[in-house]
Amino acid sequence: MNERIPTVAAVGAAAGGGPAAAVLAPWRRDRRGSLRLYLSFVRLAFLKFLAFRLRYYTGVVSYTIFVAGHAYLYRALFASRPEPLADVRIGGLELAEMITYVAIAWIGRSFTFNNIDRTLSHQIQQGEIAMQLIKPFHVQTVMMFEAAGEAAFRLLLFTLPIMVVVVPVFGIGGPPHSYLIGWTLLSFVLALVINSQLNFLIGCLAFYLKNIDGVIRAKHISLDFLSGVLIPFSFFPAWFQTVVAWLPFQGLTYVPVTIYLGKRLGADLYSAVLVQAAWAVGLFLVGRWLWARAVRAVTLQGG
Amino acid sequence: MTSVAPAPYLTAGAPRSRLARARRQIGIIGAYFAQFLKMRMAYRADFLVDLAANLFAIGIQLATLSVLFSKVPSLRGWSFEQVLFIYGFSLLPLGLFNLISVNLYGFASHYIADGHLDRVLLRPVNPLAQVLCESFNISGLNEMILGCGIMIWAGLALGLRPVVLDMVLLLVLVPAAASIYTAVFLSLAAVSFWHEDRLGLAPPVYNVIRFARYPLTIYGYGVRLILTFVLPFAWVAYMPSLWYIGGAELRRWALATPLVALLVAALAYGVWRAGLRRYASTGS
Repeated sequence: MNERIPTVAAVGAAAGGGPAAAVLAPWRRDRRGSLRLYLSFVRLAFLKFLAFRLRYYTGVVSYTIFVAGHAYLYRALFASRPEPLADVRIGGLELAEMITYVAIAWIGRSFTFNNIDRTLSHQIQQGEIAMQLIKPFHVQTVMMFEAAGEAAFRLLLFTLPIMVVVVPVFGIGGPPHSYLIGWTLLSFVLALVINSQLNFLIGCLAFYLKNIDGVIRAKHISLDFLSGVLIPFSFFPAWFQTVVAWLPFQGLTYVPVTIYLGKRLGADLYSAVLVQAAWAVGLFLVGRWLWARAVRAVTLQGG
Repeated sequence: MTSVAPAPYLTAGAPRSRLARARRQIGIIGAYFAQFLKMRMAYRADFLVDLAANLFAIGIQLATLSVLFSKVPSLRGWSFEQVLFIYGFSLLPLGLFNLISVNLYGFASHYIADGHLDRVLLRPVNPLAQVLCESFNISGLNEMILGCGIMIWAGLALGLRPVVLDMVLLLVLVPAAASIYTAVFLSLAAVSFWHEDRLGLAPPVYNVIRFARYPLTIYGYGVRLILTFVLPFAWVAYMPSLWYIGGAELRRWALATPLVALLVAALAYGVWRAGLRRYASTGS
């Protein structure tokens, strides 16, 4: 298993005594070699995103506007209730919790967001995927590690600056118990994995469809709604809450944010994170399966 | 139909008079437009997927509004039907804008980084007209139709009795609001002449549009100032809708919309021209 010396099996000259053709015997990378290979994609992705910084400066502004807009919307909503503002509860949240919900939801989204679907479909449409397919790695794994590199970049140069602006401006407090910070972070890392896997699956559709822009648009629209980033699920009727509890999308925003707010404690907390982890693994396996099928359907355009 | 001879406006030779030149330009733009319309029609599945995505987006917006209004009788004094009217109105200029200018989002990537602007600049038609015509996207139409439907429904619920002036004004306000969208995204596209970046500045700003769909008075003064003067999206839905739902006091604000549109469009075109002058091809 640890042997990685490529043995060269010389194939003797066949008929005619021409120059001996050398054939490389199959060789294996060991685990450490694989890890080193894949980790290098984390670094490369980090550096790649470092080169495009302008969009993140403006992104900080626009995420702040997002939080501000929703904070005002919910402030207006809470103020429009007949009872005194301090007594208003909507969907089990008081106004301060609601503002915190909005802020943490968008801060988390700034970390978990990526464009794997667009990148992958672009590679498929441009035929670049052929070059990926002949390289000795699994494209899905590479994209996951690249997503990690992008997320590391986002965390440092996007999420943290957003926090520096949003937290003081909107007076966002910490969670009711300090240990919940750790659980929230874990939950957002799982949200990152779920989001990346979903995007990978969407990107794979480009093997079957010539253009998946419409699909990606529909995804963005539905995820903003089904992840809970726009409205907490507790605002919705019971049947809707039952439906979304069976979908992976609640793990993108609603689960981590409600953990932060202390709405899930004890067994509730563990099961929520466990369900997230199960979706992360499940979607990864679906991605492996879909990829194996999809590459057989690939038709590369010219080149 | 049977003739294969080129249309007269396509024949070579520079016409002398200003009028003839303008006619030639418009003729070429028309031919250009027809060509890209044909190209779009070649991808019918795209169109259907886009239609579905549009319907879906509007459905989700309506669901969001009705969930929020299921919690309160009115939002800072604005009724569900009033907010719905503003939302319906917002779809008209947005649809009109999407019809011709979707390419502005991808401008940095397609035209600058990939160098397609070279081709545009080599042709004897106004570069901006070419860029806008190349992005013709028929799916804007279904936004406009749905927007009309929502506006009519909300208007009926509000008991509005439109007179001829209201209808005529709609024909002024909607294109004015659409040109504000166009102007904002044109200036953002033009920024990529100075700062090259494939994604450009458009996506985050596009996300701000959703806040233009609520009555401006639900926001604090900071946000109001930004939406009125910096990113003038207050003028794409809320301000013009005031003519119909704002009552005697507020409705005259709507009349400023065309002036704002002219101002913003002039500014944006200036930025675009300045950017175009310093354009240096990628050389690839």
